[in-house]
Amino acid sequence: MTSAQMTQQTSEQLIKLLVAIIPNYDENFWHADTELFGAIAEFDSMALVTLIGEIEEYFDITLDEDDINADNFASVKSLTELVLASH
Amino acid sequence: MTTVSTHVEFYQGIKGPLFRIIRTPAKVLGHLLFIAPLFEQANKTRHHATRSAMNAYQFGLQSIVFDHYGTGDSAGDLIDASMVLWQQDIVQQVNAIKAKSSQAIYFSLPLSAVLLLSDELLSLADGVILLQPDFNGKRFVQQFQRLAVVAQLTKNSKIEEDSSIRTQRTEQQTIEIAGYVITPSLLSEISGQSLAKLAKITVDCYWFEWQHQQEELSLARTKQQQAAVNKSNHLVIEQVDDVKFWQATELQLAQSFLTKEQQVFAKLASASLSFSAPEVVKCEKQ
Repeated sequence: MTSAQMTQQTSEQLIKLLVAIIPNYDENFWHADTELFGAIAEFDSMALVTLIGEIEEYFDITLDEDDINADNFASVKSLTELVLASH
Repeated sequence: MTTVSTHVEFYQGIKGPLFRIIRTPAKVLGHLLFIAPLFEQANKTRHHATRSAMNAYQFGLQSIVFDHYGTGDSAGDLIDASMVLWQQDIVQQVNAIKAKSSQAIYFSLPLSAVLLLSDELLSLADGVILLQPDFNGKRFVQQFQRLAVVAQLTKNSKIEEDSSIRTQRTEQQTIEIAGYVITPSLLSEISGQSLAKLAKITVDCYWFEWQHQQEELSLARTKQQQAAVNKSNHLVIEQVDDVKFWQATELQLAQSFLTKEQQVFAKLASASLSFSAPEVVKCEKQ
């Protein structure tokens, strides 16, 4: 699998996880550039921690507390980069 | 629609009254105790527990939904609660049922509620229904503590009020996370819970696992299931391809899960019927 394919696949999976947690947006809302932290009202503390748990479980990775920052959770794209870097 | 006979009461638990909602069918074929998961998960699963309890009633199972001491509408403060207390409150309720009924007793345990399971509790039950169980106490506590980390983040970005979630240690050695004021010892107790602490699961165990049909189970979930298989004499794992209702930021119902769960209720009820049948024959012979 190429790097671009990996990125695409990871991004799509992250969107699936996000849709499950924040279901009140239609599919068109979600894409690589969708902003998350600070941009979506529903993306509160509980949703964020739930997402972290789901990411760790699905991708079989462990995120450090340092990874939990506004930059990494700014958008689907930045989150994708975090997941790929954590493998 | 059938009217459900509902009784609301404050049951005297070990340390104080526990809020309970009991639905008792005309002919009781078994008892189903709904054990609430911990902290926010209790709020996130409450609406589903109500649905399940009403469904159980339709199959002749008496359902008991209650709040742990110091949570929900039960008496007491969370700061005075402990895992041992919550477990003993369950033991007391089960023994009270056993004193009046010879019918089977089942537990419904969603998510972190399984962390309350002990060998003693399992010895009192005839079967358990597990909903996406997470036996990893350490991970549960880590996720809970992360709320504080994330709260700091959101506070800095001014998304949330800074008073909504915070962590602090006071002189009384308490921790406040997400509005829950608890003792470090409670977190320590939870953190120490794991499937490895249970000797053997000899009762019927129905495990509902949320998993999309097209996707493989994650490694963490696979490991937990495998550990349970090794521990259990009779484990039935049911795959649920539906919404994870406890995660969503709005109320959702996992309808396909409720349907599958009703099939389990039907099994439990018919097991009670067949179990009680020889007793009837015996009586006739006498």
